[in-house]
Amino acid sequence: MEKKNFIDCERKQFTKLLKFRLPNTFMYVGITIAALSIVSMFVNAFVLEGDNHWLKLLSQKTLLIGMLIMSISKDKIEDEMTIQLRSQSYMIAFIVGVIYAMFMPYVEFGVSNMVHNGGENYKDLGDFQVLLFMLMIQLMFYHNLKRYR
Amino acid sequence: MENTLKLERVILNLTQDELAQKIGVSRQTINSIEANRYVPSTVLALKLSEVFDKPVNDFFKLTKDD
Repeated sequence: MEKKNFIDCERKQFTKLLKFRLPNTFMYVGITIAALSIVSMFVNAFVLEGDNHWLKLLSQKTLLIGMLIMSISKDKIEDEMTIQLRSQSYMIAFIVGVIYAMFMPYVEFGVSNMVHNGGENYKDLGDFQVLLFMLMIQLMFYHNLKRYR
Repeated sequence: MENTLKLERVILNLTQDELAQKIGVSRQTINSIEANRYVPSTVLALKLSEVFDKPVNDFFKLTKDD
């Protein structure tokens, strides 16, 4: 009996976790955070002088946080179809993200060496690049799937 | 799966938006079901059945592909 209760409790927690979404108003919070992060990236690149590595890292983190908030915010009308479309967009983003992480370093390496002799050395993608790409693909596909539903 | 949702809705003189509000989904979801692009869950099918006051089998039919 105790074991059954324990399993039920775990199942409930798991279901709660799976159904977790932020309210729709958080979408605007996410957009604002992401937009401010992009602005600070531009300011860092073109306005500020000197090496502001900390600002670059901070902007990258806040951009990812903003996009994640956008990604897990509910729609104005959240129904079973939007839940299904969101699941599909996460699946596509995961698959495309894995392919991107595997092949993009070789593409970058190849292109760099084709354009100028003795170009860049081979290097793996950073976590920011992969996560940003996956979040972008998820948001883009979700938007498109909703448009064509 | 094919359905006669549009017909049932017209019989009740409901717009897609009104039907969507009655069963708590978006208008686009009703549109997708009517166009056979989306197969609703059992819960949604039963909600539609309640609105139309008919068994689910009356407006959802299996096709050869199913």
